[in-house]
Amino acid sequence: MSTTEGPPLIPGAEAKKISLDRESAGAHRRGGWFNGLGQRWNALPRQKQWFYLIIIVVLAYLLPVVNPPFISTEPGNNWPLACAQMSIYALVAVGLNVVVGYAGLLDLGYVAFFAVGSYTAAMLTSPDSPYVHIPYLWTLPVAMGVAMFFGVMLGIPTLRLRGDYLAIVTLGFGEIVRIMATIIPAMKGQVGFQNVGHPPGTDAAGNAIFLNSNGTPWYWLTLSVIIVVLLLAGNLERSRVGRAWIAIREDEDAAEIMGVPTFKYKVWAFVIGASVGGLSGALFAGQVGFVNNQKFDVVTSVLFLCAVVLGGTGNKVGAILGGALVAYIPLRFTAIAEYKFLIFGVALVLIMIFRPAGLLPARQRLLAYGRAAYNKVTGRKGVGDAGGSRAMSTRVSDEEKGAQT
Amino acid sequence: MTLLELNNVSVHYGRIQAIKDMSFTVEEGEIVSLIGANGAGKTTTMKTISGLLNPSSGSIRFAGEDITKMKAHIRVVQGISQAPEGRGIFPGMTVMENLDMGAYGRKDRSGMAADIDRVFDLFPRLLERQKQLGGTMSGGEQQMLAIGRALMSNPKLLLLDEPSMGLAPQFIRQIFKIITEINSQGTTVLLVEQNANQALARAHRAFVLETGEITHSGTGKELLANPAIKEAYLGVG
Repeated sequence: MSTTEGPPLIPGAEAKKISLDRESAGAHRRGGWFNGLGQRWNALPRQKQWFYLIIIVVLAYLLPVVNPPFISTEPGNNWPLACAQMSIYALVAVGLNVVVGYAGLLDLGYVAFFAVGSYTAAMLTSPDSPYVHIPYLWTLPVAMGVAMFFGVMLGIPTLRLRGDYLAIVTLGFGEIVRIMATIIPAMKGQVGFQNVGHPPGTDAAGNAIFLNSNGTPWYWLTLSVIIVVLLLAGNLERSRVGRAWIAIREDEDAAEIMGVPTFKYKVWAFVIGASVGGLSGALFAGQVGFVNNQKFDVVTSVLFLCAVVLGGTGNKVGAILGGALVAYIPLRFTAIAEYKFLIFGVALVLIMIFRPAGLLPARQRLLAYGRAAYNKVTGRKGVGDAGGSRAMSTRVSDEEKGAQT
Repeated sequence: MTLLELNNVSVHYGRIQAIKDMSFTVEEGEIVSLIGANGAGKTTTMKTISGLLNPSSGSIRFAGEDITKMKAHIRVVQGISQAPEGRGIFPGMTVMENLDMGAYGRKDRSGMAADIDRVFDLFPRLLERQKQLGGTMSGGEQQMLAIGRALMSNPKLLLLDEPSMGLAPQFIRQIFKIITEINSQGTTVLLVEQNANQALARAHRAFVLETGEITHSGTGKELLANPAIKEAYLGVG
């Protein structure tokens, strides 16, 4: 079975029925304003969901241009640049959410992959680097690849550990990468790399579109990347791999004796998370235009983790919200920016008290097989005590319906 | 035919030896019970057979094949399925999703459909509760779910680790009745229990485990009648 296989899109009434089932499954964990939103969203038919999604996406793209009052970070900070930073944090949070949210692996050194991506982009494009130079856009896949390699390097020896032990080892890995950047001469320590490359293109007046001082094109680029990553992550979430991750998160031993190759899938979670971290690091390096060893400390790792927990561990939309918020708050409230960690600390405590699953809690989904099996069972109920074959034909016809849409 | 065979298996936790040179066999179609007190090595034996623990010496054969080095998730596909101690269901998944995970290693959807029917026939309560989250069910229901989930891989050998743990007496009787029924449908059962009375009464053969070693063996009835066992495990004597 491919990793992209998910349940078919279900039109109209059927989607409604299934979403209602989802709600009843998770009803007792819900309550409150955000949750009502989630329920109403689930209850909408697919077409309407798409309609609203398109509106939301268009609004998201317009965000740096409209510069909404009250929300805007100006005059303290340039708004399009703030948007660019928020989008990069959101992408980081989406990547970390795969590791922490889906597979339940506490990674306190995620900044290391971000750093690997940043340095890859910088060392392959900056004039300060003596190595081979490639166009900036090519550094994005290269950064992903390098980060994935580091993900495997870190994952294979450490993923036999669990819980606290894994967290401590990843914490160490984060520090190793930062210290390497300081002591390896080729990585230039605090001096760093200036004039990191950017995507090509000039406007009518002949100026480059992607300037470090103009956040809007960077924001658009990152937002587009986020949308692609979200689609892929959504597919993964509903696939066999996603089911394995959830099972590992819930009970690793039980997952193993259900036939889930837990070690393999944990490494996969690490590697996929790492690739998104590397990608966001490369975007960050391009946008800021300068990379040195000062930006990749443990505190940044904790901030990334904050974003995921704040948004709702295991929920990719929540991760985006959390990432954007973590970047936004210190930029918007510059007067209190110095106290940002105090504020995040208080916010986390409050959220853990009032919304222990984050702002947008992870929805319990009927998983791929579960849904097919569920359809079968409803068929069984509908035909009374009819035997398996009758119920099965119901299931098969449901699958055919799915294939047609 | 011998389905499962342990030859001189030893298991260590660090330097502590939990199982000492254990050897026994399980024949196809049997219910075999392992009884013993806390710390006798019952759960360790189960985890070693399911592959969550590796023996430090000795070998394990299943259906004629050496599986000593085989990973746990592959043993499931080979036909060994475990309902772990303390039930070990996925608390955040619904009953249906839990059952679904039980069939994770399988590709044959028609066989899965038949097994879902079978599980719901054995445990009608699970059909009623199919949309409920596993973690919100009562202990007895969770035990049913754990057994049902283990059956979803259509195992040749079902390992049950203390299915009666923490259950009310009428639930215990019901669970053991169902275990006998599962066995009569052709699944071999290896059972670990502290509730020696039921475990011995239902078993074709049984072994008594004390500090990692088998001290008595025989048919369930023989052990039930054995005065030493009566005194130590049945509370009479």
